[in-house]
Amino acid sequence: MTKVQETIALDLVNNPPPGSEMAKAKEFGVDLALLLSALRRTPTERARSLSDGARIFEIAKKNSLKNEA
Amino acid sequence: MKLDETIRILNDAGVEFVIIGGVAMGLQGSAHLTRDIDFCYARTVKNMERLSAALAPYHPALRGAPPGLPFQFDAKTIASGLNFTLSTDLGDLDFLGEVSGLGSFQEVRAASDTKDIGGIKCSVLSVEGLIKSKTAAGRPRDLYVLPELRALSELKRKTGLE
Repeated sequence: MTKVQETIALDLVNNPPPGSEMAKAKEFGVDLALLLSALRRTPTERARSLSDGARIFEIAKKNSLKNEA
Repeated sequence: MKLDETIRILNDAGVEFVIIGGVAMGLQGSAHLTRDIDFCYARTVKNMERLSAALAPYHPALRGAPPGLPFQFDAKTIASGLNFTLSTDLGDLDFLGEVSGLGSFQEVRAASDTKDIGGIKCSVLSVEGLIKSKTAAGRPRDLYVLPELRALSELKRKTGLE
């Protein structure tokens, strides 16, 4: 991400133009800063985050089954 | 979910696939998390043979099917069906022959971007493709992610970020 891209993106995330899709998403409850944070990462890094997230799902599922037993 | 490994195994076997669904969202920059990997696969004889051979060592079974139900994920089974939801040693994998709102593999690939994931060039459904497919699927869980996908599309368009 270049400095110019970072500046434009930060401005859009912090002050989404009224009526824009980003403003609608913010209103809906989307954390726009998370999008920017993901775009700072490479696809390989995003893939790693997805695998880590899935591992958390698995741990939560195992704990929930253990609590039910 | 073993995303890197699954991609490498399919790629090494020469399987033609596009990553779709929640993983495609995550790879495109969404904050969405998922526990399975969805693929759209080409329904050529060669590709179905390659797909079944690539997954065979990982014990594919129909997810949610009663234990003991006979099932073999071979090219003949794939040709007789279309969409398969599998549990494997690599995690839960879904293979779709068609994607709602887009169509068959060729249309899905045309709506995809190429991403480098761990040194492997893969086709990943684009944000626009995801918006089309989620809109067409129309289930509450699909519609729920549309505001985020539309915002992501706008953010990418206005910044040139990938």
